[in-house]
Amino acid sequence: MNKSSKAVSDSAFNKFIYKPEFSTLIILIIMLIITAILQKNFFEAKSIVRNINAFTPLILLTMGQAVVIISGGLDLSAGTTLSLLTCVLTFVMEKGEPVTGVYAIIIAFAVAVLVGVINGIGIGYLRVPPLIATFATSFIWLGAALFLRPTPGGESVEWFKMFYNIDGVKNAPHFLKTFGTIVPPGLILVILGCVFWFVISKTKTGRYIYAVGSNNDSAYVSGINTAKIQMTACIINSLFVFLAALFFVGQNQSGDARMGGPLILKAIAATVVGGIALTGGKGSVYFALVGALILSFVSKIIFFSNVPNAYQTLVSGLIVIIAIAGTQVYAPYNKRAMINERQII
Amino acid sequence: MIILETIGIKKCFGGVVAVSNGNLKCQKGKITGLLGANGSGKSTSSKIISGVYSADAGEIIFNGKSVKYKNPNEARKAGIAMVFQNLSLVGDLTVWQNIVLGVEDKKGLFLNNEISKEKSKAIVDQLLPGLDINKKVYELNSGEMQIVEIAKAILEEPKLLILDEPTAALELAQVKSLFSYMRILAKKGVAMIFTSHRLWEVMEICDDVIIFRNGENVASIDFNKDGKDPKKIVSYITGEAQKLKVEKNHNEITEETILSIKSLNYGKFLKDVTFKLKKGEILGIGGLTGQGQLELMLALAGNYPDVRCDAEINGKKIKLNKLANAISNGILLVPGDKQREGLFLNHSVFTNIIFPKLGLKHQPLFIPYKKYRKECEQVVDALSIKTSSMDTPVSSLSGGNQQKVVVGKWLSFDTNVLLLADPAKGVDVGAKIELYQHIINQVKEKKMSVILYASDNEELIEYCDRLMIMYEGKIVATLEGDDINDDTIIATSMRIR
Repeated sequence: MNKSSKAVSDSAFNKFIYKPEFSTLIILIIMLIITAILQKNFFEAKSIVRNINAFTPLILLTMGQAVVIISGGLDLSAGTTLSLLTCVLTFVMEKGEPVTGVYAIIIAFAVAVLVGVINGIGIGYLRVPPLIATFATSFIWLGAALFLRPTPGGESVEWFKMFYNIDGVKNAPHFLKTFGTIVPPGLILVILGCVFWFVISKTKTGRYIYAVGSNNDSAYVSGINTAKIQMTACIINSLFVFLAALFFVGQNQSGDARMGGPLILKAIAATVVGGIALTGGKGSVYFALVGALILSFVSKIIFFSNVPNAYQTLVSGLIVIIAIAGTQVYAPYNKRAMINERQII
Repeated sequence: MIILETIGIKKCFGGVVAVSNGNLKCQKGKITGLLGANGSGKSTSSKIISGVYSADAGEIIFNGKSVKYKNPNEARKAGIAMVFQNLSLVGDLTVWQNIVLGVEDKKGLFLNNEISKEKSKAIVDQLLPGLDINKKVYELNSGEMQIVEIAKAILEEPKLLILDEPTAALELAQVKSLFSYMRILAKKGVAMIFTSHRLWEVMEICDDVIIFRNGENVASIDFNKDGKDPKKIVSYITGEAQKLKVEKNHNEITEETILSIKSLNYGKFLKDVTFKLKKGEILGIGGLTGQGQLELMLALAGNYPDVRCDAEINGKKIKLNKLANAISNGILLVPGDKQREGLFLNHSVFTNIIFPKLGLKHQPLFIPYKKYRKECEQVVDALSIKTSSMDTPVSSLSGGNQQKVVVGKWLSFDTNVLLLADPAKGVDVGAKIELYQHIINQVKEKKMSVILYASDNEELIEYCDRLMIMYEGKIVATLEGDDINDDTIIATSMRIR
């Protein structure tokens, strides 16, 4: 390797080190190691599948939330949207008739889009601060969910289990079953989400989501329909929530109007851990996934480290704050390094 | 051939009339200067033409047709592009992504980044060779950002290009290269509207000028027919015969040293800066832009915790690592970017002026409003800040008056050294002279010393008793007396001598 190419690779490596993503990765690795030490059978296939299944809903919610936050918004209603969608799915489905599952998926999809559109109108067109707009809509979705399903329950078609565990579906083709044991459906949903975002990010919409979140006014004078972009971001988020709802109904075979609510703040925290700025425009949706993994490992660690029940919540709060601080404390150091790289005016 | 004509444009914001009667004409292949004080309506007129605002009344005729654009995109498609004064760039995207923002090339559904990059590179190479188009925009300095802004506007080859103070952030060499590019565009038949507060630029590049005052255009001068007379232009801008100079006063400098800085070092920005400031003196800092002048100002004001230096004020040793240290020792900074660094724009003049006091030690539990209002009144009088009342939000004041508020914040403090970091940036000619006059009156009255950094050499020549020239973070020369003139400054700044 000659001198000049070494310098180039050095600076590329340095650049990566100074990115906030780097600290996020380090924290993930630390969490992984701790969990692996605490959970004896961590690397066994069964527990890997179990872990993936446990993490999937949060990962999907976090990725969707990341899109909205990058576009300069915030969606507090994603949790109750998830509840609503599970209720819609189980409301439409009838156990004996497999075809109702298809209807349910179509209707729930339409509801998801509608939720995105309404949130988007509030944030983008009416210019209500996102926090307030989605806080308000979250009660609408909760109300609608309670209307459909006042108590947890409902029924689901049998093949819906395939979103959780293909093996559980009785008359599934054999090759699907084998496939399902190698690649768990939860993982497939997450990959589906990643591919979905990958495609979006290669289009104008993807570029504009960053532009609008970074500087709404500048984007507007550049001729971008900023309100429409914010609405699109909300719809994309809803579709991620839709995927999570499929998984949840597949897992539980029932709907619950109260299940999604507690997840939402966790998802927002996870996006921050993933290095996404709440001010918008910065960060990567894929690293939101890493953030969600980190937060999920926190719960695992608490579970396996024999913390007395009474303190579990307290300790998990502490770990979360340490994890977030870990990524943020890194920032000033990284800024100083950047300053030495460039001239400021 | 007239390409654009506006007839009787009117625009109000709330109750405030921004433009009352805007009439202007642009010709194909000609550069039209648009002059006027801050708040005279030239920015608003440009924004109406480019579709950012819609006019309340009046007509715009473009290419022989009466037009009305609902948004900037429509205007851009019709061939009117605007370079914005408050930058329209998105910090988190790269240079080339910004240049093509809104008009991306596509391959089917997806973005075609290769073509976009090529196009951007071709334009950037003409305007500022050597700028890396893959850099994120927030990493650029303000001059480079302005270049990107211009590149963005000319990407689509507009018929009419509106440049709203494009040179404010540029240094001389960049201005020259922009001008030569503008001449190329003019030859291609592009009509241009050019605004600037620097008169010489308008004189050099424009074919004719239109002057705005209080929302109306009061004169149009064709340089070819009517000749170039700067005094006449200035009198049209300000509406009165203008005295162009403030008297320099050398007498009051005492031999007493008020501030002495020895070997100040900060990263790679400041290297071994050593100087002494006498009481009553106005010490200038000059040189090319970005040679560490602003960093020096910020370091003196205590902005950098890890700055290393031996500083003495009135013979007493002090540390410069904290803002609070600097303020309590009477070293006070008036930042140049007043809107971002110096003011709470949405708050009243009163709040802005008394705010620094609230942080002082030994404050009463409740704010003594009556006392403060009296003090505030005095400040408003002393600097003759033009505001309808003390409770008017600062955002509704003109640029010059906003800057006076920033200066006013410090007036009731015991000031030893006032640091002025490009105080007249974005302030128009008339207001600039008035601003300096008031500052200098205060300096004399309160017997303080001033360190002045200005990007415009004229201001330095006019007001400084002594001038230090900086180059790559070092002081390379100190000019005194008759040596402070344009030629010497440029020669020493560029290290020709």
